[in-house]
Amino acid sequence: MKPWTAAAAKLRESQGLMALAGIVLLAIVISPVASDGSRIFLQIGNLTDILRQISLIGIVSLGMTLVILTGGIDLSVGSTLALSTSLVAMGLTRAWPGSGYAAHILYAIAAATLAGALAGAVNGAAIAGLEIQPFIVTLATMIGIRGLAKWLTGNANIDIGFGRDVAAEFAAAFRQKPLVIGSYAVLAAVFWVLLGRTVFGRHVRAIGDNETAARYAGLPIRRVKIVVYALSGLLAGFAGVLYAAGNQQGNPNAGVAYELDAIAAVVIGGTRLSGGKGSIAGTIVGTLIMGVLTNMLRLGNVDSNVEMMVKAVIIVLAVAIQRQRRMD
Amino acid sequence: MTHKSLVPVALALCLCSCSAPRVGTDKQYFVAFSQCNNAEPYRAAQNALMTKLFAAYPDVKLVIADAQQDNSRQVAQVETFIRQKPDLLIVAPNERAALTAVMGQAMEAKIPTICLERDILQPNYTTYIRSDNVAIGRMAGEFIVDYLKRKYGEPKGKIVQMRGLLGVEGEINRDGGARSVFAKYPTIQIVAEPVADWIQAKAKDRMTEVLRAQPKIDVVYGHNDPMAIGAYLAAKELGREKEIAFVGVDGLGGEAGGIQKVKDGVLAATFVYPLCVDKAVEIGNHILRDPAFHPEKQYNIDSTIVVGPASGPAAVGRPSGPAPVGVGHARPLLDEPSKPAQ
Repeated sequence: MKPWTAAAAKLRESQGLMALAGIVLLAIVISPVASDGSRIFLQIGNLTDILRQISLIGIVSLGMTLVILTGGIDLSVGSTLALSTSLVAMGLTRAWPGSGYAAHILYAIAAATLAGALAGAVNGAAIAGLEIQPFIVTLATMIGIRGLAKWLTGNANIDIGFGRDVAAEFAAAFRQKPLVIGSYAVLAAVFWVLLGRTVFGRHVRAIGDNETAARYAGLPIRRVKIVVYALSGLLAGFAGVLYAAGNQQGNPNAGVAYELDAIAAVVIGGTRLSGGKGSIAGTIVGTLIMGVLTNMLRLGNVDSNVEMMVKAVIIVLAVAIQRQRRMD
Repeated sequence: MTHKSLVPVALALCLCSCSAPRVGTDKQYFVAFSQCNNAEPYRAAQNALMTKLFAAYPDVKLVIADAQQDNSRQVAQVETFIRQKPDLLIVAPNERAALTAVMGQAMEAKIPTICLERDILQPNYTTYIRSDNVAIGRMAGEFIVDYLKRKYGEPKGKIVQMRGLLGVEGEINRDGGARSVFAKYPTIQIVAEPVADWIQAKAKDRMTEVLRAQPKIDVVYGHNDPMAIGAYLAAKELGREKEIAFVGVDGLGGEAGGIQKVKDGVLAATFVYPLCVDKAVEIGNHILRDPAFHPEKQYNIDSTIVVGPASGPAAVGRPSGPAPVGVGHARPLLDEPSKPAQ
């Protein structure tokens, strides 16, 4: 990475951090006060609520960052998440009877996550192999995978873990705040290193920056794209596992519009939608901004329709400010 | 399916679209059902029951179309059905205004039309089979007031209303019915009314925030069961589920339904929102087979309450064991608050 690119990236990240700090300050100031005089926003429980609530979108956004850096988009992640919640719930309630709890849980999670990765790999193969635009390919799989999830479950939610069975063990374990937040933290660290410190990460940026140049430089464009979309699917699949545990249901209608939340987090984090420039750190900051903002408005009992309008303004402002500063 | 078996289906479709009056002893009836949204569990239960009930009549061919909660898609589907001239059209409208005109077209085409569960702006139907969300809201409100009376000896307490998609008939009336009851008791306070769009996962998040802000909550009234369950999960995570009674609406059967959640002790009560399908099939069959039959313009299907052992302090101290669950009309229970819930 050339020095000026690194410097620009640093600057973008610090802009994002300043925006985040501003919103956190505002949230502290306007937070309602609990009976013991403390600010509810600052309670450890509330702060970890925020982290837990952003973890799923956060995990999906990590993959989305790589996809967008290659100049692509992945609209299918919400549907993939729904497929994964359905598969993990079906795996826990209808498959592998007689296996031990630990093995059973492991199989169910592996099946759901791998199905996500497979769906992503299909996206990547169609995009890289058939050279169809990512928007169109993932729009098609967004529809198709949602259909698959609904077909598999017969449109019905599969409740899990209300009795005393393997599904209850699964839900109890995988809904724990430390595990959910920890998963996000570990995955974020892994993808930070993957993008910032590896040859693969350099290839991802190079393809998005100038695909023609990358082709002449002999980079393995197809392979990189397939891996990037497979990773995006894998992360959406894993987020689906956490969704199923947290909400105690496999839900074929889960994750509607999650792809848009993930894209919003990525662009608020300063990643260029046309690819080439951006970072995992920026995406994490973008995810946090959305999470804190949501929590702040809801603690203040702001009307849910007003909340949507405020969010819209913040998204545009966050991106506009970062552009402005970059051009100065 | 082999190609051979497709031939009669294709012929049947052709016959339907040709719309020639069919006579003869082995008459086949074509029943078209336009469902507004297959995705909700309530709707899935409606479809399953209708399929099952019509399966008992081998001369009825039932086709269900899913409008995926989209008005224009449902209008298009009903238009297509009208072209096919079904012997009976059943419509569960997505929204009132959007479906009114096209159902009028069906009536003009002399197709007997049953309007299921949600009404439309003009009576463009042969009969309307409905349940009353206002009455359900009122029943839920009375149950909650009664619960609070038993808990404190007087009607007071703090209630959280978990609201569905704003502006929808079910949401407006389940809310309004309960609110009209609460309004009579100034000491009953609605401390929060987050909007969770009928969805369990959203309700869990919204309830987490409410729990942070509210140190004391007596009852959560979820405008559907999944939202009440989501609120329960949030409270459980913070170790506060025992101090709160969770009340839902819908009362679907099956593994994932609200009745099972009452049995499990998750919900204190749920109010069955009738599927209305059994009545529709009954009336529909009359219309198909008896030209002289004239249905009422409207049928009301009553709700029932399902209560479990967690329904209040009156039930506390009962021997543990399999949860007794009572299904019956709410009235008797509410009139005799001192009696433990059945």
